[in-house]
Amino acid sequence: MSLLRIFFSSAVFSFKAQFSWLYPPMWLAMKLVMPLSQMSFFVFVGQFLITTGNASADIVAYIAIGNAMTVLSWNTIFSVINITSHDKWDGTLPLVLATPAHRLPLFVGRAMIHVFDGMLSVAISFVYAVFLFGVNFGNTDILALIVVVFLTAFTMAGFGLLIGGFSFYFRNPLVFANIFTFVLLIFCGVNFPVQDLPQPIQFISYIFPLTYGIDAGRKVISGSTLIDIAPLLGQMLIVGFISIVLGYVFFRSFEHVARKTGRLEAV
Amino acid sequence: MPQTLRVIYSAFRMAMLHWIADPQWVIPNVIAPFVFTFVALTLFKEATGPFGLYAVLGGGMMGMWGNTLYSSGFAIEFEKWQGTLEEVVATPSNLLHVIAGKSISNALFGLTNMAAILLIASLVFRVPLDVANPILFALSIVLTLISVSALGLIFASAFVLTRSAQVFTNGLEFPIYVISGSMFPIGLLPFWVHPASYILGPTWGIEAIRIAAGQENVSLTFWLNVGVMLLITLAYVALAAFLFKKVETKSRRDGTLGQA
Repeated sequence: MSLLRIFFSSAVFSFKAQFSWLYPPMWLAMKLVMPLSQMSFFVFVGQFLITTGNASADIVAYIAIGNAMTVLSWNTIFSVINITSHDKWDGTLPLVLATPAHRLPLFVGRAMIHVFDGMLSVAISFVYAVFLFGVNFGNTDILALIVVVFLTAFTMAGFGLLIGGFSFYFRNPLVFANIFTFVLLIFCGVNFPVQDLPQPIQFISYIFPLTYGIDAGRKVISGSTLIDIAPLLGQMLIVGFISIVLGYVFFRSFEHVARKTGRLEAV
Repeated sequence: MPQTLRVIYSAFRMAMLHWIADPQWVIPNVIAPFVFTFVALTLFKEATGPFGLYAVLGGGMMGMWGNTLYSSGFAIEFEKWQGTLEEVVATPSNLLHVIAGKSISNALFGLTNMAAILLIASLVFRVPLDVANPILFALSIVLTLISVSALGLIFASAFVLTRSAQVFTNGLEFPIYVISGSMFPIGLLPFWVHPASYILGPTWGIEAIRIAAGQENVSLTFWLNVGVMLLITLAYVALAAFLFKKVETKSRRDGTLGQA
C-alpha cells in the first residue's frame, strides 16, 4: 500500500511541478501547436515530393502517422528527463533523495503521468491527421490503437527513465533530452522506413521502443488486429522493460556516486 | 568607446562566455539542423530535381532560426534563473542594446550553423553544392541572418514578460520552419497561411539564397526578395525597439519581473 501511495504521489507531484514554470494555458497551447507544426512540416516536405512526381500519395499518411506517434517522445523523454533537471534547479533533489521512500515506485511513478499526457498528445495529433491531412482511420480497431499508443508511451517513458538515470550525474540533463528527442526522427521510421537508413546503422533503430510502436500503429490504422501485431508489441515491451531496469540501475548507482562525492546538485 | 557600443560589446562578450560555458548550443547549432537535413535528404534521395538544394539550404536556414530562438529565449530565461534579470533591466543602459549585443553573438554562431550544414551535406551526404553566384549567395545568407536575428529581438521582448520563454523556444521552432517554407515552396501551404509567410523575413531570405545558389546571373526576383526582406527587417527592428521600451516601462512599474 505504501509503495502504491509513493507511486501515485510521485506521479501527481511530477505533473503538478511542471506548472511552477509553465502556465496551464501555455501547456495547452503547446499541446495543440507542437504536434500540428511538426506533422505539417514533414507532411509538406512529403507533398513537395508528390507534386513533383517523386512519391505516391501514400507518403502523406505514412508521415502523418509517424509524426503523430512521435509527439509522445516530448512527454516521455523530454518531460521525464526534465524532472531530474528541475529538481536540480529548484534545489529539491537532496530532499527527494533524503526521503526513506522506496526508489522504484518513486522512480517509475514520476514518469507515469507523462505516459497519459503523451497519449493525449498522440490523440490530438491523430485528429490533425484525419481532418487536415485526410488520413483514413476507417479500418482501424480503436481499442487496439489505444493499446498500442499506451504501450508505446509506457515503454518510451522507460527509455526516458534510462536516459534520465544516465544523465542524473550530469550538469544539465536537458542536453540529453533534446538530443534524444531529435535523434528519434532519424532512427524510428518516423518519416521513412528504417530500411532506408544506411545498413550499418539500422540496428540502432531497434533499441528505441518507438520504432516498434510506430510500426504497430501504422499496421493497426491500416486494419491489423492486436493478434497480428502481438510480436511487435512483445519486442517493444522487452526493450522497454530492459530500459526501465537499466535506468533504475543507473539512477541508483549515480545516486550513490553523487552522495559519495557530494555532487548531488551538480548544476 | 561610446557608451552604446560599450554596452553592446559587454553583452556580446557575456553571451559568448555563456555559450562556451553551457554546451546546450550544440542542440540548435549542430544536432537539430543535422537531423532535419538528414531526414530531408533521406526522403529526397531517390528524387530528381532541386531537392538537395532545398534540403541543405533549408536545413541551414532552420539552424539559424533555431539558434536565434534558443539564444533570445534562453538569454532571458538564463538571466531569470541566475537572478540577474532585475539588475540588467535596472541598469541605466538601454535593454535593447543589451539584447542587441547578445543577438550579435547569436548571429556569429548562426553563421557557423549554415557552414556546418553545408559541410555535413557535402562530406557526409555527398550532395553537390555548386553555388552559381558565391558573392550574392554569401550576401543573401548574411542578410537573412540579420533578418532572423531581428525577428528574434521581437520574441525576446515578449520573453521578458513570461516565465514560459523556454516553452516558447521549443514551440516556435517548427511553426516558423513551416510558414517560411524552409524546405518546400510556400505555394504548397494553404492560401490562408500565405499572409503569415509573407511577413516573415526568412521566407524571402531563403528564396534569395536559393536563387543565388542556382543562378549565376541572378534575375530581378533575387533583388525583389532581398529588398522586401530588408524592409521587413527594418520593420522588425522598429517594432522590437518599441516593444522593448514598453516591456521595460511595464517591468519597472509593476515590479514583477523576477516572478514573471
